[in-house]
Amino acid sequence: MPRLTVDKREIEVAKGATILDAAAKVGIVIPTMCFLEGLEPFTSCMLCVVKVHNQDGLVPACGTLAEDGMGVQTDTEEIRQARRTALELLLSDHVGDCMGPCQLACPAKMNIPLMLRQIISGELGRAIATVKRNIALPAVLGRICPAPCEKVCRRAQFDQAVTICQLKRYVADVDLKSPQPYLPSRQPSRQERVAIVGAGPAGLSATYYLLQTGYDCTVFDDHDQPGGMLRYGIPEHELPRAILNAEIAAIEKLGFEFRGASRVGVDLSLEQLRRDFDAVFVATGRFEADKQDLLGLKIGPRGIVTDTRTYQTELPGVFAGGGVVRNRRLAVRSVADGKEAAVAIGQYLSGQPVAGPVKLFNSRMGKLKEGEIQTFMATAEKVARIEPQGTGRDYSAGDARSQARRCLHCDCRKAQNCMLRDYAQQYAASSSKFKTQRRTFVRKLQHPRAVFEPGKCIDCGLCIRIASKAGEKLGLTFIGRGFDVTVAVPFDRSIAEGLQRAAEQCADACPTGALALKENFEADE
Amino acid sequence: MLRLNELDLTFVDSTVERVGSGRAEVLEILQAIQDQYGFLPQPALERVCQLSEITPSEITGVSSFYDRFRDRPAGRHIIRVCVGTACHIKGADSIYDAFGRHLGIGPDEDTDAEGLFTLEKVACLGCCTLAPAVQIDRVTYGHLAPDKIEQVLEDFLNWQQSQAKAPQQTAKRSIGDRDFEGEIRLGLGSCCVARGSGRIYQALQEALQETAVRVSVKRVGCVGMCYQTPLLEVVTPDEKSHLYARVQPQDTKSIVTRHFPVRGIRRRISQASSKALQSLLTGQPPANIGRYSVDVRDEQIADFLGKQEHIATEHCGCIDPVDIDEYLENGGFTALGRCLSELGPEDIIRELAQSGLRGRGGAGYPTYLKWQAVRQGKSDKKYIVCNGDEGDPGAFMDRMLMESYPYRIIEGIVIAAYAVGAQQGRLYIRAEYPLALERIGLAIEQCQQRKFLGDDILSSGFNLDLKIVSGGGAFVCGEETALLASIEGRRGMPRVRPPYPAEIGLWGKPTLVNNVETYAVVPWIVRNGAERFAQLGSGNSKGTKVFALAGKVARGGLIEVPMGISIQEIVEDIGGGIAGDVPFKAVQIGGPSGGCVPSELGHIAVDYESLAEAGTMMGSGGLVVLDESDCMVDIARYFLQFTQNQSCGKCTFCRIGTRRMLDILDRLCAGQGSRADLEELEYLGQMVKKASLCGLGKTAPNPVLSTLKYFRDEYQAHLEKRCPAGKCKALIRYSITEDCIGCTLCAQHCPVQAIQIRPYEKHEIDQEKCVRCGTCKNVCQADAVKVE
Repeated sequence: MPRLTVDKREIEVAKGATILDAAAKVGIVIPTMCFLEGLEPFTSCMLCVVKVHNQDGLVPACGTLAEDGMGVQTDTEEIRQARRTALELLLSDHVGDCMGPCQLACPAKMNIPLMLRQIISGELGRAIATVKRNIALPAVLGRICPAPCEKVCRRAQFDQAVTICQLKRYVADVDLKSPQPYLPSRQPSRQERVAIVGAGPAGLSATYYLLQTGYDCTVFDDHDQPGGMLRYGIPEHELPRAILNAEIAAIEKLGFEFRGASRVGVDLSLEQLRRDFDAVFVATGRFEADKQDLLGLKIGPRGIVTDTRTYQTELPGVFAGGGVVRNRRLAVRSVADGKEAAVAIGQYLSGQPVAGPVKLFNSRMGKLKEGEIQTFMATAEKVARIEPQGTGRDYSAGDARSQARRCLHCDCRKAQNCMLRDYAQQYAASSSKFKTQRRTFVRKLQHPRAVFEPGKCIDCGLCIRIASKAGEKLGLTFIGRGFDVTVAVPFDRSIAEGLQRAAEQCADACPTGALALKENFEADE
Repeated sequence: MLRLNELDLTFVDSTVERVGSGRAEVLEILQAIQDQYGFLPQPALERVCQLSEITPSEITGVSSFYDRFRDRPAGRHIIRVCVGTACHIKGADSIYDAFGRHLGIGPDEDTDAEGLFTLEKVACLGCCTLAPAVQIDRVTYGHLAPDKIEQVLEDFLNWQQSQAKAPQQTAKRSIGDRDFEGEIRLGLGSCCVARGSGRIYQALQEALQETAVRVSVKRVGCVGMCYQTPLLEVVTPDEKSHLYARVQPQDTKSIVTRHFPVRGIRRRISQASSKALQSLLTGQPPANIGRYSVDVRDEQIADFLGKQEHIATEHCGCIDPVDIDEYLENGGFTALGRCLSELGPEDIIRELAQSGLRGRGGAGYPTYLKWQAVRQGKSDKKYIVCNGDEGDPGAFMDRMLMESYPYRIIEGIVIAAYAVGAQQGRLYIRAEYPLALERIGLAIEQCQQRKFLGDDILSSGFNLDLKIVSGGGAFVCGEETALLASIEGRRGMPRVRPPYPAEIGLWGKPTLVNNVETYAVVPWIVRNGAERFAQLGSGNSKGTKVFALAGKVARGGLIEVPMGISIQEIVEDIGGGIAGDVPFKAVQIGGPSGGCVPSELGHIAVDYESLAEAGTMMGSGGLVVLDESDCMVDIARYFLQFTQNQSCGKCTFCRIGTRRMLDILDRLCAGQGSRADLEELEYLGQMVKKASLCGLGKTAPNPVLSTLKYFRDEYQAHLEKRCPAGKCKALIRYSITEDCIGCTLCAQHCPVQAIQIRPYEKHEIDQEKCVRCGTCKNVCQADAVKVE
């Protein structure tokens, strides 16, 4: 029975146990990707490298036997650096996007492809939840947003961009017209109270998300009705007030107090708010130097000075976002600010380090190479872009579906459960650390249930071993050697022939989005 | 063209029937199929899966892992351009490009439109002294230049035709005839063969027949003096030795008549030719003929051999490689006899421990420790493996040993097997070494007949069943765990050690894996005693080491030197210094795992520790001498390209890390590097070294890191878009100076017509067309071509 120490903790393990086993025994988690319980270790990804005392270099914990008297370290700077480098090397040869270009371009980071898939599958109830996870006022934005998402839509390389904005509006409109519009659940009430100064897009958005987190919100505004520039700066024919009112009403249902006609800085001071509330969010809209002076906050050339990630001003507990910090009017940006500031405020109020929202790791493929658009078009409807004519005109359900089907699903099927992405996030790996030429994007769709995107493969061989264990006749194999090694079905056969019974198991085990289930193409997450 | 649906698969059926249907037979089956069809037709592979235990996944994985196997038909003839180190520094890339251009082979193709020639790169042909060299089927052409391509192809096709008309006679030699009237010894190592010693052998036989001289012609192994090949030694009845170098077939008759009394030939001819030869013997040979005679008393030869110590290469150039009787006459198998009758296994291991022998495969692990570990392993079955998967560019020591001393290696293996208790053995030899395969195969047969192998060896009751496994050409299979995987019929991918093969090896059993050279010195140690071996060498590096000395050195070849000898001594004394008048710059030791040692460190001793300290390693024994015209960034890139290409692709650091390092080196050589690139290169190098799974990855950065250490200024120069050695094509341009006399030679030789013929006028180079092959500079007689 070898006895060893892992991170200075003494462990006794059975003969034949690995360092990974030993560490697990005392709850020390070592990251792995190519390892799967029940299969022989393959020592390929090298994410599990650890340091063994008195040995040069690092060894993979999953495949190294625990030996008597061994001293192992699992988490030093050297090790973290090596793990980060391993991830960065894998990412330098990773062809695919985690999030689609549209979602990346959206200031609110709305999961557009998911919404489109939910429209396709007719699950509008889930589509509105997807939308409202990031955008508090979708029906409003659906009418006034300049749609940065559509400007980067890959479909435009084939014909024209997907009508993302219109489809979002469609989802929101259908929801508003339904007998019971979408209402997110509210977490249990918390004691802390937040003052929101300004009831424009940023203020309302922050309110919406803070309420969901369980904080009480009181919204102050110069005007006697909420809406800010949406109500007082945009003509009715562009944004019907009925729509605005309905969407604000959805926020009110979560229960906030509105104090109209109260000018902060004039009628009541910021100091007063700071005393009465646990946090303040200043979202007074378009920056006007003389007006903001009244609040007594530090002002720069573009507005109130804040930390760009956390929205904190120099006053503890006072946050600011929207037009007042940017000197720019873009409703969707303000809505995004409100959502992000809500996260930071939540962190502040719950005593966590205030870091703002987590910036999700994202692998980016960049510009398409010649011919790649055809690969993407394989799953898309070839119909042309149709926009409903005039403001009053809406998509029919059929139109909406067929327009949504124009989406190329550039995002990854496994964006939400990808080990490579999770670890890249955890180890702060950069996807562009190494400059290089990328390979061509390939997507194989022959399998009825699974989709194979070899460019995302990290050559861990799990699927090969699983298929072999499952008794697949053809199965999968490594082809070639070295940098050019690929995973494929023998004899140039299709994945459908190679994986007749183990497809689900393989897709489930695949640590990246290389092998995924097709159902994710249509909906769900 | 072969139609797949009409493929006759009965060959596959009979092959599986013959070889066996186990998973381990996959390599042999694939090789047979490839030999039969010229490539691996898919229906044949599918048929194998139907007939055997081999699965589609396995056969696809294995066949695509090894370089040797093709998945598409090849042309009628295969052109193998050697890109070994020595050839590389002499312009192999330009040769390869020139063939491609001439045959009109596109970037993703390897065969010309008519299907006549397939163009391939080969890691090393092992005729470094002929660099740059090319092999077309079995004919080797040396000292090539881009403008000679057309000539070479023409010559080959002509030769091919003449061969078809007059099929080659296989000359028979008489072994039993020992009535000594003198002897003619002809080197038949691969390098000699590459230089045409096969043709000379034939010519000699004809000359003897014609002159009716009764003298035996003996094939001997490699003499080591590759720079003089083909080498012919005449031993006259007075037992005097006369050595002829760079012999041509037409010379043979003159040589014969010069030394032996002619019977029945017109004296006039013999006199005339003898005269001509006399002039070659005494005077300086005319350069254009390129052959001359040397004498063993020649000072040069004395220098070349003087500092050498022949243990693994004992009796070099004197004994017939496949003649078992001659091996026996020279003390062969006495060591084995002594082991089996007098010494117990423990005694043998103790002897080895005292000798201080360390593994000659590169890492230098004490041999006796391995043997002890296997001996102590408790198992019903144990294996012994001889690692002959040498594959470094610029190294061919193991091949030479296998070709020249097959019995010695077998004797070493049997002794080792007896010491560790292994009764099953495998000799892994790469298929690219046909001569080694043939000779070892012959030697195994002979040994079985004479009871040195098989059951009840020398009536001792000890059995050893030794089989050859022919590898498919993957450098990584030199790593012992990858080697074992390959023998088991799997992709040659390494695994984590421990457990070491000594504990869990071939098919899970304790296995002794040693390199060819290690086994080859064992009989000597047993015969001469550990003490004598330990007297050679220095510190912790005892005995001798065989090196392939090549590059810019005057006398290249295979040498065996005592450890501890300095780099300087090897280069200057044995190698005769730099061949040209360009100063000595560095030596690259250890091939792709080693590093570059600058000339200032020439005093460093060649032993495991000193070399490691200098940032390189013993490796398997490549030693390439570089001069100031060699670009160190290019050398680093060359080696990394090799390891990168040979990586098995299993672990992230090696698979992608070496590739990203290569990306950076490519940028540097193209003049597109940035300061950050140098830092990144160094960082990545350290990382790949630190965290790769096996020895290949752990040592792959060495050529880069050592050149970064000693020649950083050259890297800096590349950042400034300068290549001081004038090697990196993107950073140099050729131009013609005012010294041009208008002789048109450059224009005639330019392979891409970048120079217009303008007699008596100064010529110009069209930079758009120029491929920077350097031909114009080489042919210019007025020294009017300059490189910037």
